[in-house]
Amino acid sequence: MTCAPVKSLLEPYLDEELDAAQRAQVAAHLASCASCAEMHAQLLELRTAIRSHAPYYRAPAGLRERIRFSVRQAGRNASRQAGGSWRWIAIAAGILLTVSAAWNVALFRSHTSGADLIAQNVLSSHVRSLIGAHLLDVPSSDRHTVKPWFNGKLDFSPDVRDFAAQGFPLIGGRIDYVGDRQVAALVYQRRQHAINLFTWPVAAADSPAELMRNGYHVLHWNSGGMAWWAVSDLNVDELRQFEGLYRR
Amino acid sequence: MISQPGREAPKPALFEETMLPHLDAAYNLARWLTRNEHDAQDVVQEAYLRALRFFDGFRGGDARPWLLAVVRNTALTWLRRKRSSTQVSFDEEIHGSRLEAATVETKLVAGDRFAELRICLDLLPTEFREIVVMREMEEMPYRDIAEAASLPIGTVMSRLSRARQRLQDCLAARMKEASK
Repeated sequence: MTCAPVKSLLEPYLDEELDAAQRAQVAAHLASCASCAEMHAQLLELRTAIRSHAPYYRAPAGLRERIRFSVRQAGRNASRQAGGSWRWIAIAAGILLTVSAAWNVALFRSHTSGADLIAQNVLSSHVRSLIGAHLLDVPSSDRHTVKPWFNGKLDFSPDVRDFAAQGFPLIGGRIDYVGDRQVAALVYQRRQHAINLFTWPVAAADSPAELMRNGYHVLHWNSGGMAWWAVSDLNVDELRQFEGLYRR
Repeated sequence: MISQPGREAPKPALFEETMLPHLDAAYNLARWLTRNEHDAQDVVQEAYLRALRFFDGFRGGDARPWLLAVVRNTALTWLRRKRSSTQVSFDEEIHGSRLEAATVETKLVAGDRFAELRICLDLLPTEFREIVVMREMEEMPYRDIAEAASLPIGTVMSRLSRARQRLQDCLAARMKEASK
């Protein structure tokens, strides 16, 4: 073989895509041609560099569990609806994407203060709401539907707002438990991330808090005699933006 | 034959068993395509749900190229959406970010061959980068890459070859620059 055909075969040779006969021909040529051998050596060097030094990004911890949850949830919804709306599944799945391995989070092992205890509670409520498919008792983007729905079910009336214009549409609400009391949970959506906003009346305001646990951000503030806790896997800047809208 | 016809619901257990072993491959490809950890996670999650939806179309055999095709499509859609939502022109996006990556990182790591390699990979156009990732990191045969990228084998070979040439040129240029 001459150099010209060998050059075009060098990469398939390197990639082990040649049949035995071609492989033998290329190998024989390389043994006797310094110029082709040099090209081959450079290709080999590049390969070695990539394989030994370019990062291979392994899936981060928690991603596998998140996918497992969302897949199972989507599968359940599909069988329940037997050929039903994939759009709904896509939305539910999108929300469920946020479910993570928070079940075994550090939170459960590391709390000390009362605020931490509440943070633990709201975080597990958040995760539970996404896993258990009990995200919404009242699915509605209309705050005039959501707010009255709470009447008679709670001993207070939550301040329900919609920030669809700002990119945080209200998607509904439900009653949840934090500690031993009933609270209002308002659910907002930011792209495919769900935000649970928990609120209940408090006698005295405590200090605002900001926590991060296993990819979830928890923001806490007080206003209007109410405690507010926002939980999401959304990035913290956008969650703060959300808090800012509510506190305005 | 893996799937059954008709309106039967997807089978999460079988799906998981078939597709979850390739999670690292899916993530690595998404990570190299989006060049961003958070976007990569979102892309992979979305891709798995899409894959579940189309699982009936999987005809058995090696699941990796099939799954990577879904990941790739999801990532490319994601990149397009991101580009249009940030309302940055194509040129600015491509050249701006390249320039930035190149200048910022040069200062930090000039002469570090490993870092140079990563930068050169990041600088490759997407259609070249994906082929290199599948060939050199996943060690996939041409046939599987062709399936995952929906390309004829000849195109896979020519893109791979051009990608390697670009990488060699990029590395040579950067090492030369660093040694000045």
